[in-house]
Amino acid sequence: MFISASLFSAATFAQQGQESWLVETMYKSGKINTVVAVVAVLITGLAAWMFMMDRKVSRLEKDMNKR
Amino acid sequence: MKGLWWKVLATLLLLYVVIVGLRTPLRPAIVQTSVSRIAPGPVEVDVWGYGTHFIKSGAQVWIENDSQRVCATSVAAIADDHLRVQFTVPSGLRSEMSDLAVFSERDGLLERFGAFFTEGRGAGIATQNCVTGKSLRLAILEFPNRDILNESIRNLFFHVPMWFTMVVLLSIGVWKSVVVLRKNDPDADRSAAVAVQVGLAFATLGLITGSLWARVTWETWWTSDPKLNGSAATMLIYLAYLVLRGSVPEPAKRARLAAIYSVFAFSFMLLFLFVLPRLNDSLHPGNGGNPAFSKYDIDKRLAPVFYPACLGWILLGVWMYDLRNRLLRLQHRLSDANDQ
Repeated sequence: MFISASLFSAATFAQQGQESWLVETMYKSGKINTVVAVVAVLITGLAAWMFMMDRKVSRLEKDMNKR
Repeated sequence: MKGLWWKVLATLLLLYVVIVGLRTPLRPAIVQTSVSRIAPGPVEVDVWGYGTHFIKSGAQVWIENDSQRVCATSVAAIADDHLRVQFTVPSGLRSEMSDLAVFSERDGLLERFGAFFTEGRGAGIATQNCVTGKSLRLAILEFPNRDILNESIRNLFFHVPMWFTMVVLLSIGVWKSVVVLRKNDPDADRSAAVAVQVGLAFATLGLITGSLWARVTWETWWTSDPKLNGSAATMLIYLAYLVLRGSVPEPAKRARLAAIYSVFAFSFMLLFLFVLPRLNDSLHPGNGGNPAFSKYDIDKRLAPVFYPACLGWILLGVWMYDLRNRLLRLQHRLSDANDQ
């Protein structure tokens, strides 16, 4: 969320003709950094999903043991 | 959350692999020449590079034939990746194949082996010294740029760990199966089944990614290769394991049958993936006199990303196994509690 939010704000900056470090990074060397950012967001998202599932299962285990 | 540290480690490792694995540049290379045959007399050759800096740092160019050199008479940099070079090829070059060599301070020595078929051969020429200056190349991390593979060499960090993860999960499966045989433990039986399920998921991903990669490098989705057929046979054997489990309704009997089958399946997996491909010629790296983990296949420049990638994917696989296993255990306990 944070990463995508900062990307959007960076894009708005670009339209105003100011160049932020992030925009520069995203346009550099054939735009590979954009791909890297996209895949990094995906991996972060998937990991977040794993962590959430893990927490839910942990909570269920705790409930079960109390019974 | 139990085991939080290694789950965080898995996430960080995979992020590192994506960022460094995709961003690290390839070693510059000479990828194409406009001429593939040279004969005595003047010749003009267009040379295309990849990731090179011809305009920024210039280039010295020569033909290398059996360690004898013919320097270029003129070199013009048209773009950072494009040179126009003129040679006066002497007659009497010894070898049938000539290499093209390009040197620049920025990129160092770049060679295209066997670039030219050579006509007008003879007993040799007076060699020339074409290089002045030293390479100022920085020893930064870069990946090898190999013919045919090119940028797709990065697939190493994604395709290969799928199979390593599968092997780890199937090892967990056979270990749990042995526990079933020794202690008759229904918990271990469920773990064994989950390990095989998650292992097969990774094998499927390995198969699809491998097929895609093969299309680009070998020009075919599938070829009758010992490693490829071995991995397909392994998957079928393990699919049969799941079918076997589904066809025996009685839990205690199912556990013992599946455990015995799993030990056999694991032995066949070892045979199909690690023994037979090494006894036969294979296109696939790591086989038929072409062993993996040698200087050819796992270049030391790839290691700083490849090993973390293996660890990261294996940890993710074990995490998925752990999660599914705990979920099914809960389900089992819940249905037990309802029965009482």
